[in-house]
Amino acid sequence: MRRAPFGIGSGLCYLFLAAYLVAVVFPMVWIVYSSGKSTQEFFSNPIGLPHVLTTPSGAGGRTLTGNYEKAWVGSHFSRYFFNSVKVVGISLALILLLGSMAAYVLARFEFFGRKLISILFLCGLVIPMQLILIPLFFQYADMSDLLNRLFAPVTLFGGHLVFSLHDSHAGLILIYVAASLPFTVFVLTAFFRTLPGELREAAMIDGASEYRTFFSVMMPLSKPGLVTVAIFNFLGLWNEYLFGLVFINSDQLKTLPLGLAGISMQAQYKSDYGLLFAALVISILPSLLVYLVLQERITKGITLGALKG
Amino acid sequence: MIKRNDFQRPTPNAQRPKRREQKLFILTFLGPALALYALFVLLPAVNACRYSLLRWDGLGTATWAGLHNFGRLLRSGSDYLPAIQHNLFLTFVPGVFILTLALFFAYSIHQGVRGARLFRITFFFPNIISSVATALLWIFLYSTSGVGLLNNLLKRLFHVSQPIAFTETHNLLWAMVPMIVWAATGFYMVLFLAAMENIPETYYEAARLDGASSSHLFRYVTLPLIWDVLATGVVFLVIGGLKMFDGVWIMENGRPSPETHTLSTLMYSRVFEEYNVGHGTAIAVLQFVLVLLASLISMRLMRRERLEY
Amino acid sequence: MRKSFSILLLLGLVCASCRLQRDDPGRGITLEVAVFEGGYGIEWHKQMARQYERLHPGIHIDLWGDPRVDEKLKPRILRRNPPDLASCGLPVWKLIVAGKLYPLDAALDYPAYGQPNITWRQSLVKGVLSDYQYQGHTYAVPTNLGCWVCWYDRRMFRKHGWQVPRTWGEFTHLCDQIKAAGIAPLAFQGKYPYYAWATLLSLYERLVPFERWYRMEDFLPGAYTDPEFIHAARLVQEMATRYFEPGALAMTHTESQLEWVHGSAAMVFCGLWLENEMKNAIPPGFEMACFPVPVVEGGHGDPHAIYGGGGEMFFAFSDAPHPKEAVDFLKYLLSMDPARAYTRQLDTLSPVRNSERGISLSPDLQSAVDVMHASSRLFSDRIDTLFPEFTRGAEQVGLADLLAGKITPEQFGKELEAGMEDIRRDPDIYKPPPQGVPQ
Repeated sequence: MRRAPFGIGSGLCYLFLAAYLVAVVFPMVWIVYSSGKSTQEFFSNPIGLPHVLTTPSGAGGRTLTGNYEKAWVGSHFSRYFFNSVKVVGISLALILLLGSMAAYVLARFEFFGRKLISILFLCGLVIPMQLILIPLFFQYADMSDLLNRLFAPVTLFGGHLVFSLHDSHAGLILIYVAASLPFTVFVLTAFFRTLPGELREAAMIDGASEYRTFFSVMMPLSKPGLVTVAIFNFLGLWNEYLFGLVFINSDQLKTLPLGLAGISMQAQYKSDYGLLFAALVISILPSLLVYLVLQERITKGITLGALKG
Repeated sequence: MIKRNDFQRPTPNAQRPKRREQKLFILTFLGPALALYALFVLLPAVNACRYSLLRWDGLGTATWAGLHNFGRLLRSGSDYLPAIQHNLFLTFVPGVFILTLALFFAYSIHQGVRGARLFRITFFFPNIISSVATALLWIFLYSTSGVGLLNNLLKRLFHVSQPIAFTETHNLLWAMVPMIVWAATGFYMVLFLAAMENIPETYYEAARLDGASSSHLFRYVTLPLIWDVLATGVVFLVIGGLKMFDGVWIMENGRPSPETHTLSTLMYSRVFEEYNVGHGTAIAVLQFVLVLLASLISMRLMRRERLEY
Repeated sequence: MRKSFSILLLLGLVCASCRLQRDDPGRGITLEVAVFEGGYGIEWHKQMARQYERLHPGIHIDLWGDPRVDEKLKPRILRRNPPDLASCGLPVWKLIVAGKLYPLDAALDYPAYGQPNITWRQSLVKGVLSDYQYQGHTYAVPTNLGCWVCWYDRRMFRKHGWQVPRTWGEFTHLCDQIKAAGIAPLAFQGKYPYYAWATLLSLYERLVPFERWYRMEDFLPGAYTDPEFIHAARLVQEMATRYFEPGALAMTHTESQLEWVHGSAAMVFCGLWLENEMKNAIPPGFEMACFPVPVVEGGHGDPHAIYGGGGEMFFAFSDAPHPKEAVDFLKYLLSMDPARAYTRQLDTLSPVRNSERGISLSPDLQSAVDVMHASSRLFSDRIDTLFPEFTRGAEQVGLADLLAGKITPEQFGKELEAGMEDIRRDPDIYKPPPQGVPQ
């Protein structure tokens, strides 16, 4: 294929690689098959295979389905999963849209204040989320109060509008988008700069408006950049925990990481390890599937991002 | 490279409306992103600095405290300095392992060991899982009650009678090292691999003709040529280490002790549990300064002649 | 076209963050009650809520619980959106001093539910309201009465012929016997070192008269460097290093209690919530009973006093929409019939006086009730709620180190003293006036 095989010590190298492979794969496998055990089984047989596999019988199977049903339905994992999809999906859409729009303008147009605004976005790269967390908490409370006061005289369908940026998906999405913009704008600006200007001129001569040019010509061309940005942002947002912890309180609105953390507390109180393992599997499985399917794309995206940045 | 816009030439009257249209275009494209960013990132960041100068419990009125909060933090005996130590520990100790392993794995795969594709795909996977799920997984691995995988393996294979309390407060940070290495190595491996694949084959051929061994090739060809990406990786690691929250939070069940607090968990605890907003924001501000300093220092230390090829 | 698109999107997001709240005068009010869902669960609370709704048709109670309810409520209180009632760990004193809690005196001085000839205050066991007094007002009321005891596996004791110890010497001798039989003497909830705090304070009480013990509660200087306190710490350390189950220091409360229930350990120090907490995991035929913290030979403390008092405190909030109605529900929760239901269902005690009369209790609870009835008085620690910085700081670290054998008892005392000195010096922390020995 490519090169001559490894030099001296290749045996040792294989050993390392194989050992790490086991270290990565085995815990996953253990979690998966352990999710079929009942709490008693955990204590009597922690490492081995669960009853459902070794002695296929009614009881083992029922434990397995019982655990998963408790997790998916009883502990609301279906809800957490769809919440994550909703929040991250909408955030990504907005990030890509608003980010590329801003980056395009910053990259290819001259106007008053362009340099200042670029630097402003760059500053965002060094601002950690933790700095924003606390002031934003109070800011959301104040903004909600303001909106409520503004809309107090408005009556709609016999009731009032009550605003709350806290404990709402909208509030979470807003900060996810805002905080992801610096990085996105940074990467996409660099990207848009590499696109040839003749395309735009050609489109303009054909009578297309600036908007049309952007959406029909420039965006499709910047797909690799968009994919990179989407992947990085997805990885960051799907697993985001701290902001969700602070801003989301109701169980119905929790995202997957919050739900998992919450359930780990409950299952510990109920001493129900089977449930907890099943929940863990449910949390990991979508990521695993997405990864296996898109794994080439993902690694390419990181590659691209790293080398360009 | 910004292409100078045609519209910068003195505009004849026919092009005036186009100019206004363009201004509108810039506004609508840049506006939303800028507004979101300014309102939800910049404004809170500025407020953070303001809050850190106040004595405020978030409930009543605030009073001016000047640098009092910072003084309390930096005093000996406060929780803050140990927290920084914990962050540094969680940055450098796993960092050394991560970089070494990532380079080793990337190089092996690059050299075409058998099963390279399998290794590349599986090693990256732990990075995809959320840090909450990772922490939970490792809690199970480390558990001292009947459930724990590692203690059970130690008992069965090595006849260790006393279970090791991995996640006890004093051992927790050390216990987190394998977890962090396990979760992060894959990402850096992919990063370095991408950089390595960018190196033209000719360099290797030339060196091999001169009789270089495999390890020589690595030290004198590969390493210098991927140095920039390595430097980027180091900066990522450092920043990530300073922001560590999820792992500690979950493993300490939401109640870290002064022996396990990191900057982020300490900040959260001060504000949302002890209602000391001034203090907590001061921690956040100092964390921001640290992130800035650390990035600059890392970049400086890793600076080398740019190798163009 | 496109330009309005993004603006519309943003507006849409803003609108998405609101909801329509109908004013419906006919519907009455909704009270939100948040309860810590721990060892006692929330089934009783929910049942009482339904009963209350039947008594008061205009009121709907939204009662919910969670083991991490405090995590959810603390931010909410900070953004002026608290529930109407809450029962969980909170920085209570900060809230009281900032005026965020609603005083209960108006209701306390009115006749109790179901007992019209005495006030609500008089219907409760003496002393349970004394912990949360500020400027002459009461701000919290407990729903549970408990004590700190040592639970043991009765079957195991019977099988081996072990006797319940009365003195510390007998206790250590028993532990040695248990160890010789190949069983761990004590399970311990090591991930939460403060489980040893009650044991430590109980031992200290056995050693000194109350005047000295309450110096600690009044955070007077030198309280933690008292030689008897250090002696109590030494006893605890010996117990931990010699008799705790191996690996206990990394176990959560449920993990360690599971070990006890499955026979890996013989005894465990805990409150009265233990059986309820482990309800789903107790194997059939398991019998548990308790004995008080042993008397230390040569000690000068009251050998019959028990560490205990009111627990599961409920608070009402002044920022909440309907504090008065909320307090009325609270009054109902702490009246005779609900209290009797509480004791019957949860096998534990209520602070409503005489509420356990005439109810046949399980053998486990009966052993605890016997312990409490045989005791001369209850005593408890308020440092926990007064100074969470101390509890989470010097106390937690010191205890963890002490139990792991990493510091000497003298160093432990010094660390606590230093921690408390920090508190004494900190102008931001509220310190109530000293109260001496409560009557």
